[in-house]
Amino acid sequence: MSVFGRTEKSVRILAVVFFTLGSTLPFAYALLRLEYVTGWSSFQALQEFSSVYGGMEALRFTLLEAIASALLTVLIGLPVAWCLSRYRWKRIRTLRALIAVPFVTPSIVAAMGFLSLIGQNGWLVKIGIDLRLETGLIGSFAEISGWNHPGHFLALIIAHAWFNLSLMIRFVEPTLSSLDPAWEEQLSMLPNGKTRIARIKYLWIPIIGPAVLCAAALSFLFSFTSFALVKWLTPTNFTLEALMAEAGSSAGIVNYRIESSELIYSVALVQFLILLLTLWLTSVLQKKYSRRLSLVSEKNARTHHGAPTKAAQITVFAGVLFTLLPFISVILSSFQVRKISGGSVERIWTLEGWRNAWSGDLSTMGVGEAMSNSIIYALCTLLIALPLGWILASTVFKLEQTGWTKSSKLLDLACMLPLAVSALMVGLGVLLGGLRWYPEMFGWFLLPVYPHVLLTVPFVVRIMLPAYHSLDPSFAEQCQMLNLSPLRSWYHGKLMFLRGPAVVAGSLTLAFSLGEFGASWLLVRSGTWDTLSIVVDQLMSRPNFDPTIHTTAMAAATMLMLLTFTLFVLAERFRAHDDRSGF
Amino acid sequence: MNMKSKAGILIMLMLSFSLSGCLGDRVTEAIESEDPCSAEIQVRNSDGTLKILTYDIAGFSDELIAQFVNQTGTEVEFIRTDDAGGILDQMMLTKAAPQADLMIGLDNTYLPTAIQNCLLIENNVSDESFTQTSLEFYRGPLAVPFDEGDVCLNYDEDALAADNMSVPTSLWNLTEPEWNGKITFPSPMTSSPGRAFLAATVDYFGHSPGNQSGDMAAWWTAIAQNGAIFTSGWSESYVTYYTGGYGEYMEGYIGGAYLTVSYCHSPGVEAYHADNYTHSTSLVLPRASFHQVEYTGIIKGAAEVDAANQFIEFITSMEVNENMPDYNSMYSVLSGTDLPETNGYRFHADQAIVSNAITQEMIEQNMDSWLTTWQNAVQMG
Repeated sequence: MSVFGRTEKSVRILAVVFFTLGSTLPFAYALLRLEYVTGWSSFQALQEFSSVYGGMEALRFTLLEAIASALLTVLIGLPVAWCLSRYRWKRIRTLRALIAVPFVTPSIVAAMGFLSLIGQNGWLVKIGIDLRLETGLIGSFAEISGWNHPGHFLALIIAHAWFNLSLMIRFVEPTLSSLDPAWEEQLSMLPNGKTRIARIKYLWIPIIGPAVLCAAALSFLFSFTSFALVKWLTPTNFTLEALMAEAGSSAGIVNYRIESSELIYSVALVQFLILLLTLWLTSVLQKKYSRRLSLVSEKNARTHHGAPTKAAQITVFAGVLFTLLPFISVILSSFQVRKISGGSVERIWTLEGWRNAWSGDLSTMGVGEAMSNSIIYALCTLLIALPLGWILASTVFKLEQTGWTKSSKLLDLACMLPLAVSALMVGLGVLLGGLRWYPEMFGWFLLPVYPHVLLTVPFVVRIMLPAYHSLDPSFAEQCQMLNLSPLRSWYHGKLMFLRGPAVVAGSLTLAFSLGEFGASWLLVRSGTWDTLSIVVDQLMSRPNFDPTIHTTAMAAATMLMLLTFTLFVLAERFRAHDDRSGF
Repeated sequence: MNMKSKAGILIMLMLSFSLSGCLGDRVTEAIESEDPCSAEIQVRNSDGTLKILTYDIAGFSDELIAQFVNQTGTEVEFIRTDDAGGILDQMMLTKAAPQADLMIGLDNTYLPTAIQNCLLIENNVSDESFTQTSLEFYRGPLAVPFDEGDVCLNYDEDALAADNMSVPTSLWNLTEPEWNGKITFPSPMTSSPGRAFLAATVDYFGHSPGNQSGDMAAWWTAIAQNGAIFTSGWSESYVTYYTGGYGEYMEGYIGGAYLTVSYCHSPGVEAYHADNYTHSTSLVLPRASFHQVEYTGIIKGAAEVDAANQFIEFITSMEVNENMPDYNSMYSVLSGTDLPETNGYRFHADQAIVSNAITQEMIEQNMDSWLTTWQNAVQMG
């Protein structure tokens, strides 16, 4: 083996060990700690789940809302993805960026956007749909069906669908847009393709089915672990994550609030098993999905169908409007403050919220400083997560290519592990582990980068892996024939083709890090390095007797959204036409 | 799965668990000790910065902290939790290797647990200028009060008038059918005003004249059976469900509850921010209120003890503390101060009838059993 080969192997092993330990150690540590505190074994903790206060109810609700959210995501997302992929759209990159922004929007901002849409002065109420107070149509439905708060449930699954819409677009659009138009034409000539239903059965379901299922499985996963949206939109219900968050801070302490530790131990294990199963399913489906892609270029497929029809235009613009409404609502709220005089309330237009947000009068710092902190954290996360995720994706690909199929599957699944582990458990593990080994680390300002890296690496892998799959091996062969050095071969045979997906992965990493809300990960928010999302949360958590607090929070949230959106628009410029990544 | 894959997994697992299992150091022993006061505590390494463990107290703005930094030359860094309960949890979790020098925000329902677990050390701040009410619950060297207020029930006057309902004269009135589904409570398991009101019900049902019949558990069961809405925190109750507060102007408002737990002076805070208008008022029943005092104290193992003492002096100085009604919507703890008259702040703030029967010792000894009783009672409902 050459020096280059040995170095490459060492780097791969190091990346795999570093990531696997980094993602499993805190969870394993937290489990050991809870085992010690509760005196339960893991098996016993699973057995006791049914006796944990609120556990079964939370599990039923979590499963129900996650399944309903995934179905609604398909229902809303599929027509948009279909229309977006079959026609030649002007400014398609901007359209994609707009639809992608919800996915990286901090959930507390999303919750505020939806609350202002469905609240008493919201636009939905004005058209007769009252999901919050459940009057009118929704109220009648609740009365007839005997269902407690159907409006709240609907609001939650709509918000989840909004959040996950981009998943559907990113998975389905590349498949449909790169499908050879001849297939459809040929099938319509055959007896099995005469009717629309037959074409759906024999062409569309086999072609886009795995992509739809893959997107639905991920929607299920993100809805399953939802916390802030559940807390704000369905205040009478708990998901498993929300249930754990309630008891989280007192878990893991010997002889103190043992019932909290029992709850966390039991619920975290049940959640882990369900999510692991979902991730395995996603991984299998994504593999199927990437195999079914046709070879025709997207440009040709789009050219074939030409300019969008009226129906397609309405569908896509309705999708974009659906995406934008909560954002518009947040932006408008940042310029309005309530004024009560003589018992009547009016909303007056003001820049006070923006002034407070910049000056930091109502928070620990102004949004300017918080934004620079957010950007520093995001850049640090990018510097670690992008190369780490890239190396892991290439290792999975290499294992596949060299016949280590099962190992590649295992590593692929391991890369998704951080998404299956409760954020709270990681936080507990980090805290207890840190106290044990190196307490001073809590004073280190870069500590939040650790959970940011764990959170973003799975997405980098999911973007880079399909890019590796679509690499044409003949380029590497030609490099070898030209007797190029390993480094130059890598540059010309791989890097040139992976540049686009890497930029997309990088922008997603930056956006995720910007929006990540560190409190749930680390249990405490430490230091003078508050980020923009923490400033938003800080303002939202305070009693809002003073009407300017809410306006200020909305101004800070608007800044965060604008920053994220700018990043996505920039990243879209680098996205290749035939990019097959999931995001 | 081939042998190499299996070996790989095995090595990974062994590495994970062996690293996480290298237990048994001094820090862990201290955390897990049976006697919380006997364990050796690691003193935090000094870095010249005063670290303060607190919740998001409104008053600690950038400007206020800059004032302290200018006066003393000591940098300040905050470690934030969600609420008072979070502060205690954090102190318990990190007691053997403290991460902060000063805590601000434990109230008198949590302070006894902190003292019992030896989480605080003595400060040298004089309590001469403090109000009698702020020192009644605890007067000692381990904690200094920085604000106070009475936790009591608040109700919506307009809603009661509109539904032709009478103002309750006993807590038992709230279990009557006309109140069905119209009350919301923050859970004492997760909220400090919720905990304070639980203590008030212990007092109410444990002593005359409040104790008309039955006990605290029976009342909570009856309340739960009467469709009371229990929420995790004060915000969810007051902002989301309570019809009399500012929540009705907020996005997440649902309403439906005419009565909730807040402070006796909350109607005053409402009026202060709404041009002297409020339709919320407090229900002042004998022994159905709890005098809440919020404390600051130096954490055992603190590195910046002098700076911590200076900060306590700073926030209990007249210049800062008299502004507590504005900063943190609570009373100042200094004698000779009061709520501002502006916009009816003082006018709408009611005076509670408290008994002070719930002592530090009672909370220290009984809070866990009260919480268990409450949980069982509510589940039965």
